[in-house]
Amino acid sequence: MHGRVKLKSSAQQEEEKRKEREKKLKVYLSSRDACFSKRKQGLLDEEALQLTQQLLSANPDFATLWNYRREILLYLETIRSEDEIQRLYEEELSFLEICLKVNPKSYGTWHHRGWVSTRLPRPDWARELSLCERCLSLDDRNFHCWDYRRMVVKLSGVPVEQELQFTDRLIGSNFSNYSSWHYRSTLLPLLHPGSPEAASPRREPPTSSTCSSPSASPQTHSHRVCEEQLLKEYELVQNAFFTDPNDQSAWFYYRWLLGRAEREEMISCVYVSREGERVVAAFSRPVNVSLHTLHLSPLVLAVPPHSFQHSCHPLSSPVICDLPPGTISDTSNEHNMTVHWTERRTHRDCALYTGSDVCVCVCVCIPVLCLQLTLPLSLSGRSESWCRDSATDLELFRSELSVEKSSVLQSELQSCTQLLELEPQNKWCLLTIILLMRALDPLGYEKETLAYFQTLKEVDSMRTSYYSDLCSKFMIENTILKMEYAEVRVFSLCDKNLSTVCHLDQLLLVTHINLSSNRLLSLPPQFAMLQCLEVLQADDNAIESLEGLYQLPRLEEVSLKNNNISQISHLKVLSTCPRLTRLDLRGNPIAQTANIQSELAELVPSVTDLLL
Amino acid sequence: MAEEESSLIEFEQIDFLKDRHVRFFQRCLQVLPERYSSLETSRLTIVFFALSGLDILDALDVVDKPSLIEWIYSLQVLPTEDQSNLGRCGFRGSSHLGVPYNPSKGPGFHHPYDSGHVAMTYTGLACLIILGDNLGRVNREACLAGLKALQLEDGSFYAVPEGSENDMRFVYCAACICYMLSDWSGMDIQKAVRYIRSSMSYDNGIGQGAGLESHGGSTFCAIAALCLMGKLQETLSERELNRVRRWCILRQQSGFHGRPNKPVDTCYSFWVGATLQLLDVFQYTNFEKNRNYILSTQDRLVGGFAKWPDSHPDALHAYFGICGLSLIGEAGLRRVHPALNMSERAFEHLQQLHRTWREACT
Repeated sequence: MHGRVKLKSSAQQEEEKRKEREKKLKVYLSSRDACFSKRKQGLLDEEALQLTQQLLSANPDFATLWNYRREILLYLETIRSEDEIQRLYEEELSFLEICLKVNPKSYGTWHHRGWVSTRLPRPDWARELSLCERCLSLDDRNFHCWDYRRMVVKLSGVPVEQELQFTDRLIGSNFSNYSSWHYRSTLLPLLHPGSPEAASPRREPPTSSTCSSPSASPQTHSHRVCEEQLLKEYELVQNAFFTDPNDQSAWFYYRWLLGRAEREEMISCVYVSREGERVVAAFSRPVNVSLHTLHLSPLVLAVPPHSFQHSCHPLSSPVICDLPPGTISDTSNEHNMTVHWTERRTHRDCALYTGSDVCVCVCVCIPVLCLQLTLPLSLSGRSESWCRDSATDLELFRSELSVEKSSVLQSELQSCTQLLELEPQNKWCLLTIILLMRALDPLGYEKETLAYFQTLKEVDSMRTSYYSDLCSKFMIENTILKMEYAEVRVFSLCDKNLSTVCHLDQLLLVTHINLSSNRLLSLPPQFAMLQCLEVLQADDNAIESLEGLYQLPRLEEVSLKNNNISQISHLKVLSTCPRLTRLDLRGNPIAQTANIQSELAELVPSVTDLLL
Repeated sequence: MAEEESSLIEFEQIDFLKDRHVRFFQRCLQVLPERYSSLETSRLTIVFFALSGLDILDALDVVDKPSLIEWIYSLQVLPTEDQSNLGRCGFRGSSHLGVPYNPSKGPGFHHPYDSGHVAMTYTGLACLIILGDNLGRVNREACLAGLKALQLEDGSFYAVPEGSENDMRFVYCAACICYMLSDWSGMDIQKAVRYIRSSMSYDNGIGQGAGLESHGGSTFCAIAALCLMGKLQETLSERELNRVRRWCILRQQSGFHGRPNKPVDTCYSFWVGATLQLLDVFQYTNFEKNRNYILSTQDRLVGGFAKWPDSHPDALHAYFGICGLSLIGEAGLRRVHPALNMSERAFEHLQQLHRTWREACT
């Protein structure tokens, strides 16, 4: 059924074909009936083998017949000598080769060959490997053959080095051999495992059972490669993409080489509010919210830790811990607490000192290996404190690539940039350069990255909107980083064509946010995480819904000029923000509604400054 | 003059010949040419392509629904009086084994080599739903017992109880069966999820199994299965989902191919397109180029689609070509449900059935 090309033929040729087909059909039907009657009678003999052979030659995907054949062979094994069995199976292999010539992609045929290989008293693995080589020389992407070869290698104990040399040969003769690169990616970690770092836990999504996955994906650390071998691989792969920059095989392999580092899991930020009597903790990834995975000591929580979202999703970040009234509200008392994340055996200590004017919070982050690190903190004259550091942010965003060898990344960046001079329209090169720049210095390379994105969108115009989305994400990440370095809590991204906002879970500390002149359609539920938000500006967007402005305790000013708000029901959520005093809705359809002034006065009584 | 000519050719290339495709599928349901003989054992899947194709074309009224429903039920492997074959129940691909015709609810016929095939059970149930049947004659317990017997320790599935190859295709079939029967006791979800995770490849696509090359078909099977199970967000982190999105988006060359450095093929407009739809990023693909490719493989004489231009059309590529067009919103086509691979209309009928079952329980 696959890819048959049309041919013209004369009437005579048609008649000949028809006669031949009729003959074949007769033979087929009689063979089939004979076969089934034999099987029904339980006859497991050579004649049955003959019959099934005829049928399978015509239809190699007749699973029942392969099974029948296996039954016959197994039975014959019990009554024949070893030599006879050897010959029997060798004939089977010859038969299978004929089938494979007819259809090299038949699941049934390959599967049966695999079975036969395990039954041969004296298997000839060299013969099997040579079959694979012949098959692959005709179609180097035949994954049935590759899978069969893997099985043969495993059963025959071919050393991994030899297989690696095999891929060397294939890649050497033809760089554009995706399956070879793929095979190499599975072999390399077996041969050159990276040092098992106790500090870096395996990253897996949380499962309810405690057992870890036995066959983990190639992204986890057990599939790493030691650095020395890595440099050799970089050279190999560079040769490949310098030779043919338009072939994706080498680029994908390259990307994989560059990016197998695991992100350290951590509590990225802890925020304490005396007034709100709560502790909010943000994590490097959504966590299981329960008393078993997360608790504060020595404090007792008023309610179990919970998330901002209304959904019953078991995973969340950040997580809110409400304290019983009066626990920390007394400014004349010092409070020490530790936030424990038991799943990853990591925690952050937090101290809320006395003093009405200045409140200092000392945070100590203790990773799993119990190294003590004291991190610089924010001073504040207010009744709150937090703990966050820029290294954490970089770690959160950069983590695609191995952080510790920036010299290697730098030299890779140089190579790619050289190639780009020769091939300015090459999208793989552009993508890889962007990736490397973000890994090395996202803020330092910001201008270049944006320029490269522009080129990328022109060169690979089919994926323009995908690249726009990616670019928006990177700009948001950069803005978060800048915020951190400037030690301010203002987030501003105006006129950047943003269609969505992301990483809101990392904006826990932000007090002022400006998203004006973008293409936002809504303020999604994740906005509710911005617990410190005081001023929101999102003019000149296409916002219809304000779902996320839910229970924001400090929100005072909201400016939404020139958006698409048309229904008063969409504004209902604002009544959950007790401190809201200023609301600017000019240029929205709703401003034209009759009685809107009085309706809003009733809905959000706290608002004294209403602009329509 | 040259310009007029080329725009004429362009126009010819871009019109969708709905009637031809309806007739193509009708013929598939009547007689298949000799070169399809190797697919005899999978006849039910061809029927699925034809019926679901006609459904998406909004032309199901051309088929004789009652007789088709009878035929499909005759393919059910029913439990015998003594229930000794429960682990082999399900649906068979056709009548090639010679089991006597029996479209009733049972009991089954004793035959030492008769068993269901996971892909036939999946397409059999799907066809019944598409035809508007209420699954009243399906022995659900038997189907689920038959399915359960096929799952291996590593979480993947055989196709038949006597054993066969095992890979992601059958994991998808299993998920569809449980979803349609609204009963997940037919499989160990946790093991299946583990198998899916272990099949993620270094380049962020998903292969047929652990260590195997990423492939558009198996990526669809994995993601769609997770969606049907309701486990997508739980199994893959946002970061991992982004990686899969990236691998999939890079499969578009004009139409889509299934693996890097392979030629584009019409059916991947559905396999990869539907995956992108399930991952919420299908809108980032280029609809025009996709459409132009699919239509370049349209057979203007006999109808249907082929994998490549100037090749013979076949039922599989005809069906998935039409689904690919449905995903991009081609006029006159019903919307296809990207996870369950049937029209939204048929999906609605299934939801209604589920509601009825739930009410019957209370």
